[in-house]
Amino acid sequence: MLSFIGRSVIQKTITLFFVSIVSFLIIHLAPGKPSQVNPMNPKFTPEILERFQKEFHLDKPLYVQYLYFYRGLFTGQTVSWKDNQSVFSKIWGRFLNSLPLFIVGTLITWTLSFPVGIRSAIYRGGIYDRTTTFLSYLLISIPGFFFAYVLIIFVVNHFHVPVIGMETFGIANSSIPHMIMDRIWHLLLPSVLGATGGIAILSRYVRSQMLEVEGQDYIRTAKAKGLPPDQVHYKHAFRNALLPFVTMFGLILPGLIGGSVIIETIFSWPGMGRMAYDAILARDYPVILTVNFVSAVLVLAGTFVSDLLYLVVDPRIRL
Amino acid sequence: MNPGENHIDAPDYIEAPLAPKHTRMQEFGRMLKQNRLAALGFFIFVLFFLCAVTGLILTSGTKPLFNPAMVRLEEKLRPPLSKPNLQALRPDQVPVLNVYLMGTDDLGRDVFARMLQGAWVSLTVGFVAVGISVFIGIFMGGIAGYFGQHHIKAIHILFFLCLIGGIGLVLINAVFAGTALLLLCLSSIVFLLSARDKLPEKTLPAWKGILLGNAVSVDTLIMRIVDIMLCFPSFFLILTVVALLPASIYNIMIVIGLTSWMGTTRFVRAEFLSLREQDFVAAAKALGIGNFRIIFRHIMPNAVAPVLVSATIGIATAILTEAGLSFLGFGVPPPHATWGNILSDGKNFIFDAPWLTFIPGIAILIVVLSFNLFGEGLRDILNPKLRERH
Repeated sequence: MLSFIGRSVIQKTITLFFVSIVSFLIIHLAPGKPSQVNPMNPKFTPEILERFQKEFHLDKPLYVQYLYFYRGLFTGQTVSWKDNQSVFSKIWGRFLNSLPLFIVGTLITWTLSFPVGIRSAIYRGGIYDRTTTFLSYLLISIPGFFFAYVLIIFVVNHFHVPVIGMETFGIANSSIPHMIMDRIWHLLLPSVLGATGGIAILSRYVRSQMLEVEGQDYIRTAKAKGLPPDQVHYKHAFRNALLPFVTMFGLILPGLIGGSVIIETIFSWPGMGRMAYDAILARDYPVILTVNFVSAVLVLAGTFVSDLLYLVVDPRIRL
Repeated sequence: MNPGENHIDAPDYIEAPLAPKHTRMQEFGRMLKQNRLAALGFFIFVLFFLCAVTGLILTSGTKPLFNPAMVRLEEKLRPPLSKPNLQALRPDQVPVLNVYLMGTDDLGRDVFARMLQGAWVSLTVGFVAVGISVFIGIFMGGIAGYFGQHHIKAIHILFFLCLIGGIGLVLINAVFAGTALLLLCLSSIVFLLSARDKLPEKTLPAWKGILLGNAVSVDTLIMRIVDIMLCFPSFFLILTVVALLPASIYNIMIVIGLTSWMGTTRFVRAEFLSLREQDFVAAAKALGIGNFRIIFRHIMPNAVAPVLVSATIGIATAILTEAGLSFLGFGVPPPHATWGNILSDGKNFIFDAPWLTFIPGIAILIVVLSFNLFGEGLRDILNPKLRERH
């Protein structure tokens, strides 16, 4: 156990190191310059350009820039080139905005896909199963931005509620229930949209896991000794089918920082995805690199957690 | 039954067909009939292919039949199936069928012509991007699975680092340092060649031993590269690279292809690892057949089924990604129409001209859905376990 943890921590640190190099090279070797040091920008005199270059260490060779940047990152001193704010406080602010979306989206995904998947596995081949299969293909295939507009038109025309942004402008003066309802309406659409793909994939996965378990001998035994169907399905089958999903808790970790660029752009939601998008547009290298680095850390931590959970949950696995 | 009769029956036995009566195509057709959703997917896929090819023919050239770039400011935002106002238009501006099949957009361009042009873009983006990713995936996965046990020597790594670093430095105008690295690279080749002759390893000095020692196995190296690539959030990475590079359709194809090969690599490797141990590969080796012939002629056909399935679904994903990029404004540059940027242009008129949103949106949905359904059906068709059951 300990040796497994030690080995994977070392391995993941090495991976992270290479990720940091590759992302740094991609950003810095791409053609074009950040807008603050772009010589084409008519607002800047050569002196200002030179000062910026010195300030950002852009006059140094690449490997020195790399060292400067990651020293700043680990001491928490990295600042955004765009507005000189600390990158971490910026990310933290946006992260708090994205968090409700992530939590509601994950809750919707997990609470919907399990009943749907279990039911379609129990009534395999039936009309319910075929309908949900087709619906899940539909949900995987629908372009997120198109679906967003369809939902916006529907909600705005039928319920007459505002849905763009995090809250209605000037809502702070109204009563508290009104404010809460307003927040919920604004939260609902983006999180449903964020959950669509997840629901489709996860319910299919639950279905196939359930089907596999339902084919086992002990289920036939349980049925043969006359247990009520509910007990067979939920006590004998479902508990065993749950195993792979416990480990998936680790894999949803990267979703924390991902955010959806497209959905947050459509709904003008000031979250992580939007910030990353704006940073890319402004070529704000520190922000892009930090987001990239943090998400790589989360991916690695996620796989690590899921491996550990597997180890804890499944006694057959010895690493 | 006496033994004599059995003896007489024997020739019939031998003449009886040993190979399956059905060819692969017949089998494919039969399975397609049983899986109706997959058949529907395949049908739409063929239809889309034909649309894209005719669309390319009808909308390109100097005097195209349907002109997707023809601006008619008098005729903007006309709903689908509306007749053009003939008084306001010059003769060459009148649409071919004398009707706007899918309406016009905010500049009075014929949406039908633009959709036809966009179909070809979606098709090529899907196929080229997936082609690149499948090629890299098979190459890397094949090497990792087949040559995985071979070890790379430290000197090889040094050689490649020097080569890449040297070329990179020369390209960014640091000629002196670059040439020095390239010379070092050359010297490592010389070192490698000279060391090859002197086989007795005890006599080697310590530094030579380290350089010629096994550093890492090929399999580990490739799988670590896959791990590194999987650490990047894919859409964000694509967005970053596409935003930093000059806008062009080829960049998008290449970037989508270069960021989506990891899955293919993983299961090609898994297939190769299990197939490599099979008897037919041992037999081929015993016959003295070369490695590359074994890989491409003997192992690859057996490993191609999951690649085909994931490629089909990958095309769907690539079309969605391209549409998403176009929607964000990083897609194919403006005069060229794609379904993503028709939708993105139309979103400002969503309440006045909903067809500008719904037509491309539903078109993308149908095409992607057909690829997904066909891919999933293909998975069942190519699955030998399911085939035996029928």
